[in-house]
Amino acid sequence: MELSLKSEKIQIGNGINLNLVKTDKFKSNLLSFYFLRPLTKEEATKNALLPLVLKRGTDEYKTNLEIQKKLEENYGANLSLAINKRGEKHVLRFTVETVSGEYVSNKEYIYDVFNLLKSIIFNPLLEEGYFKKSYVDQEKENLKRKIESRINDKRSYAIDRCIEEMCKNERYSIYSLGNIEDLPKIDEKVLYNHYKDLIKTSPIEIFYVGHYDDNMVEYMKEMAKIERKNIISIPREQIIRGAKTKNMVYEDLNVNQGKLVLGYRTGIPYEDKLYNGLLIGSDILGGGPNSKLFKNVREKESLAYYVSSTVFKYKSIMLIDGGIEFENFEKTIDIIKEQIEEIQRGNFTMNDIEISKESLKSSTMSIKDSIFLISEYFFSQILSNDNRSLEEVLEDIDRVTKEDVVEAMSRLTLDTIYFMRNTKVMNI
Amino acid sequence: MDTKIYESEKLKEKLYYKKMDSGLKVFFIPKKGYTKQYAIFAADYGSIDNVFVPIGEKDPLKVPEGIAHFLEHKLFESPENNLFEKFSKLGANVNAYTNFNQTAYLFSSTENFFESLSLLIDFVQNPYFTDENVNKEKGIIAQEINMYQDNPGWRVFFNCLQAMYNEHPVKIDIAGTIESIQKIDKELLYKCYNTFYNPTNMVLFVIGDLAFDEILDVVEKSQKNNYEKAEEIKRILPFEDKKINKKIIEEKMMTAAPIFHIGFKDWDTGLTGEKLIKKDLVTNIILDILFGSSSTFYNDLYEEGLINTNFGGYYTGKESYGHSLIVGESKEPKKVYEKLIQLIQKPAETLLLEEDFNRIKNKTIGEFLMGLNSIEFIGNNFVDLYFTDFLLIDYLSLLEKVEYKDIIQRFNSHFTEENVVLSIINPLE
Repeated sequence: MELSLKSEKIQIGNGINLNLVKTDKFKSNLLSFYFLRPLTKEEATKNALLPLVLKRGTDEYKTNLEIQKKLEENYGANLSLAINKRGEKHVLRFTVETVSGEYVSNKEYIYDVFNLLKSIIFNPLLEEGYFKKSYVDQEKENLKRKIESRINDKRSYAIDRCIEEMCKNERYSIYSLGNIEDLPKIDEKVLYNHYKDLIKTSPIEIFYVGHYDDNMVEYMKEMAKIERKNIISIPREQIIRGAKTKNMVYEDLNVNQGKLVLGYRTGIPYEDKLYNGLLIGSDILGGGPNSKLFKNVREKESLAYYVSSTVFKYKSIMLIDGGIEFENFEKTIDIIKEQIEEIQRGNFTMNDIEISKESLKSSTMSIKDSIFLISEYFFSQILSNDNRSLEEVLEDIDRVTKEDVVEAMSRLTLDTIYFMRNTKVMNI
Repeated sequence: MDTKIYESEKLKEKLYYKKMDSGLKVFFIPKKGYTKQYAIFAADYGSIDNVFVPIGEKDPLKVPEGIAHFLEHKLFESPENNLFEKFSKLGANVNAYTNFNQTAYLFSSTENFFESLSLLIDFVQNPYFTDENVNKEKGIIAQEINMYQDNPGWRVFFNCLQAMYNEHPVKIDIAGTIESIQKIDKELLYKCYNTFYNPTNMVLFVIGDLAFDEILDVVEKSQKNNYEKAEEIKRILPFEDKKINKKIIEEKMMTAAPIFHIGFKDWDTGLTGEKLIKKDLVTNIILDILFGSSSTFYNDLYEEGLINTNFGGYYTGKESYGHSLIVGESKEPKKVYEKLIQLIQKPAETLLLEEDFNRIKNKTIGEFLMGLNSIEFIGNNFVDLYFTDFLLIDYLSLLEKVEYKDIIQRFNSHFTEENVVLSIINPLE
């Protein structure tokens, strides 16, 4: 078995940390830059547009074609840029993964790839002092289409819609790709000014996972020598206890399957000692094939192919979702409510708890086998100000008692029910 | 004893092999330092095997569409009805999948690997079908089918297969239809099971920080040995004409923008083993040169706003069928199609330059090496390649052998105007 997973943290600039994870078990290395922003209506669309524009061209590699060729020459180095919502934070991520030099008998080439990433983040292609206009215009159109196509994946669309309705008056309702209405206000100048601000004021976390030496650490320090201003502080998520909106939302779409989502407020922050009890409770309810929902909604009543329960860590909400026949709407809700009540009454066994603990611990440990998940894991620890080691995280899961689960699950309040249906084909 | 160790210095990986007395073949790749273990137990049996001679019988039988997938669901049934609980208790994550060619049962674990392995072998080798549990499953699978029916990406794909193929069962949805699964009963399931789940038609693959001897001990103790002596399974495939079925299929459904698949039906079928995998590699390299994100075609159409980053092409092929698919999202799929047809009229030598070939080959090598970080990637690909008579450990050396001249030949025979189809899903008004 491998020794425990550690990340070494070095502050290398004003609000810039370098996190190093030494391992030689993978056939690749990974370098990621995370820029943290608050999730606000004002900047969400701009944040989402930025990676799309930056990926189009840099001062050195003027077109996407040149960038792609450079990546391909370097053994298909994998470049990925993403924008994600983490609670009420908006996170921009820039990542490259490269094959370890020993497999392609070229140890130095990874610096070529790092230089490319640096160029994409810090030296974008400019035209008259701003982003290239045609790139911005095209990517605005692409972003618009991306936002529109969220309907294509009906399951995740239903979940997003439930969150939007439930957290209507909270920043958490902002969609991670922003809003179509905000696009016309953004041009190459507006976006470039936002970019300048973002580079100067965002907290930045850099992760490197793989083999490294002193030269590489020096290289990273050099890379972080950029102009910085006052670093913004990002507020913690608002936690709502008890139902806020009390909604019943129907959406009529031309679909074959109904999508049901139940949104609960948990009122339990991730810092609370009951948080692990909530995770176990949610897993007993709708985690895997041994869960109460799988057994009752799927196996016993044949109502659904999928039905599950998920805790949204940063926002302290829990969502249950399933795909069902339109007509089974009420029946399914009844069973779900009944199963939650069962857990609240303590009607589950020590065996159920053990199973959920095993499952949680196993997926936590599995992080060690993925170069990408290692950096994501340590990054999420930073987001939640959590200094525990992976081993301590596992021990805390083990400490959860039946009382914790009952107590945590008793705090649930149903806030919003969302149902995607098709009234044209329903027999009602 | 039929045991063997294959070693690849380039990959820094080893592959262990043993054929058990039952006829079951066991493979193992050690992964030092990995926390997870992964085992996959698979049958050479997929949705395209829908006409065959059942074991011990003489006449071919045509079974309802979706039965291989139905069988996969039903193998999770046991008299005590607690399989999931048993796996969960061991901390193992059990799952299964059915595709056109295989049915695979798998789990990943971080502890209790051997107990889980024993459980996997045991449940796959002990079917328990009753009228009641078979009927109960129909509702669940109907919901799975409904879910796919609402997925535009799935529909555009199957419509493309419908357009390319006349008779070949690859055009049939893997899960079948809500109507076809009603015809499934426990007798039919046992027939399929007894024919295709014979150890001689299966493979067990294990990967993780483990020892081969211990794996073999568990397999020896857990497996059943009282199998009917199996002869080569007779699978009957209909004659598939070279000609495509339909030039274009269009459909409307709930989607934001039109999405499309352009399919080139492969005429060069009948290959297995190294020849098949080489053809696969060669064709995928061509598609990457022509339509990948570093191609002129991609970048021109992107600039014009005709495609977005979802655009790309890939080839997939087995012994009896094969096709290249160029897929994407566009305001005007027909315009993309026309431009693509114009492109393939040009001489191969002007479209496929040697420097592009070398670059894409490098990329393909790098991507494969990075894939080997994931034990699931290794397991799933191992099984897929194994059933076409090829070992994953030989993949890199085969890839290195692909030459520039191979791609020119293949381009001329595969990308023509006669074997191309177009499938479009348009949004509802």
